[in-house]
Amino acid sequence: MRLGFASAALFLACISVFLPWWWAPFAGCALAIAATAWVDRSVLRSALRLGFVLAAVFAAAVGGSAVAWSSGLVKGFEAGGLLLARLLVLWLVAGVVSRSVDADVVLGVFRKLGFERLGLVFGLALNALPRLVVAGRQVWIAHRVRSVSRIEAWKRLPALAEVLLAHTVRIGDDAAAAAALRGHSSLVRPPKAILVCPAPVIVLTGRPGSGKTTALERIIDSLVGHGNNVAGLIQPGEFRDGAKVGFSIRDLRTGEEAPLARRTSRESGQHGTGFLFDEAGLDLARQALASVPEGAVLVVDELGPVELRGKGHMPALRRTLALQPPRVLILVVRRHLVPALLAALSATDARVVDVESEGDEAVTKVVALVGEVEA
Amino acid sequence: MIDARPWTAAALIGALWGALELSVGTALHLSRLPVRGMVMAALGLVCLVTLRRLRGRPGACLLAGAIAAFLKVFTLGGLYPGPLIGILLEALVVEVVFDIFGSRRVSAVVGGAVVLGLTPVQMTLTVWVVAGRDTVEATARAALEVLAWLGFPVFPPVAVLGGVVAVAAGIGALAGWWAWSVSSGVNERLGQ
Repeated sequence: MRLGFASAALFLACISVFLPWWWAPFAGCALAIAATAWVDRSVLRSALRLGFVLAAVFAAAVGGSAVAWSSGLVKGFEAGGLLLARLLVLWLVAGVVSRSVDADVVLGVFRKLGFERLGLVFGLALNALPRLVVAGRQVWIAHRVRSVSRIEAWKRLPALAEVLLAHTVRIGDDAAAAAALRGHSSLVRPPKAILVCPAPVIVLTGRPGSGKTTALERIIDSLVGHGNNVAGLIQPGEFRDGAKVGFSIRDLRTGEEAPLARRTSRESGQHGTGFLFDEAGLDLARQALASVPEGAVLVVDELGPVELRGKGHMPALRRTLALQPPRVLILVVRRHLVPALLAALSATDARVVDVESEGDEAVTKVVALVGEVEA
Repeated sequence: MIDARPWTAAALIGALWGALELSVGTALHLSRLPVRGMVMAALGLVCLVTLRRLRGRPGACLLAGAIAAFLKVFTLGGLYPGPLIGILLEALVVEVVFDIFGSRRVSAVVGGAVVLGLTPVQMTLTVWVVAGRDTVEATARAALEVLAWLGFPVFPPVAVLGGVVAVAAGIGALAGWWAWSVSSGVNERLGQ
C-alpha cells in the first residue's frame, strides 16, 4: 500500500515534467509530496532536518542562479523552486521505499517469477546499501584527515577508490561466507562437498604474510608437548632479500623436507598461479598424507586455490580422510579462500581462527579446541 | 563446488555503483556539467574492471550493471531511459571485451575506449528518441554556429560527432588504464 502510493507519487512527479503547462511540474510535485506524507508522516518529519533543508536550498539556489543567468530571472525562480520540490519528493519517496522494500520483499517477487538466485543477489544489494554508505563515509573521513592539502587530496583519490572497493569486496565475501554457512541452496550450490571429513575441522586463517605458518609451528610444538600424535605437512616460505620466493614442504612425522614451489610470473606459472611446482615436493606431500596414522591430529599447511579446484594435495588428503580418519583436522587457508573452503567442506564441526585478529591467542585457542575434541 | 563470491561481489559492487549513480550522478546531473555522462561512465568502469579482475566469473559484470540500473530507477526522473541504457550498455561492453581479451590491462583499456566512445553516440540517440530529430538537428546547428562564431572551422555534424567520439574513446582508454591500476591496488589490499 505505502509502496504503491510512493511509486504512484514518483510516477506523477516524473510525467508532470512532460506536460505542456508551466505549473504542471509544481502541481505534480505538490501532489506527490501530499500523497507520500499522507501514507507516512514520519518521512515528512525526517525531511525537515536542518542538514537536508540546507542542502536542498543550496542546490536549488545554485541551479536557479544558473538558469537565471542563462534564461532570465523568472525562469531562474521557476527552475530553483522546481528543483527544491523535486528534491523533497525524492527524499520522501526514498524514505518510504527504504522503509517498505527490503531483501525479503525483493526475494519474494523474484521467487514468484522463478528467479530465486537473482532475487537473493538483488536483495543482498539492497541490504548492503546502508553498510556501503557507512563504509563510504568512513573512507571519506579518513581521506580528508590524511590529505593535508587539496592537491594531496586529489593525488590520493585512487587510494580512496581502492579502499572503498576493497571494503565492498570484503562485505561481499562476508555475505558469501554467511550464505555458505547457512547452506543457502540458491546462492551457493555445493552439489557435493569435495572435502568430506569425519572429524572436526579447525581452519587457521589470515592474509598472506600474517604469520599463519609461524603460528602453526607453535601450535604443533604445543600439541606435541601435550602428547598428541601430530602428522601431516607444513609449507614454510622461502625468502630472499625479504621477499617470498617460494615454498618448501616438510613431513611432520619424519622431518623430511623438499622444495615445493618457486615464484615466477603469473603468465608462466602453473595451475593459474604465479608458482612453478616441484614434483619432489608434491611426492613428499603425497607420502606425508599417506602415512598419517588413524586418530592423529592431521595438519595441512596450506590449502590454496589449486586444492579447492580438487587438484594439488586434495586427492591425497581426501584419500587419507577416507582411509585413516584423523581425530582433528587443522587446515591453513588464506582468509579470502575461507568462504570457498566452507562451501566445499562437509565436517562434524568447523571452527575458524584468524591469526591476525586473535594475535597470540590464536595458538592457545587452537590448542584448546583440539583439547576439547579429546575431552 | 559453486563459489558464491562472484555473485555476492557483483551484488555489492553493483550496489556501490548504483549508490554512486544515486549520489554523485544526481549531483552531476543537477550541475548540468557537459561531461557528466563520461564521468559516471569512468566511475562505473572502475567498478566493473575491479569486479571482473577479482571475481572473473562470466556474467558478473552484467549482474552488477542490472543492479546499478535497478537502483538508478529510485532517483527522481530515474525512469528516464538514457542513464539506464548507458549503465546496461557499459556492463555489456566490459563483459564482452573481457571475454574476448581475457583479464588483462588491454581489456580495461579497450573496454574503457569503447564505453566512453559510445557515450556521445548513446546521448545523441537518446535525445533523438526522447526529444525528436528536430531537437537534435537544432542543437547540432546551434553548436556549429557557436563554433563558427568562435572561429573554428565548420565540419558536417557527423564529422563533429566522430571527432567527439574519438576524443571520448581516448579519454576512455586512459580511464581504462587507471581502472586497471586501481583494481591492482584493490587486489593488493585484499592480499590476493
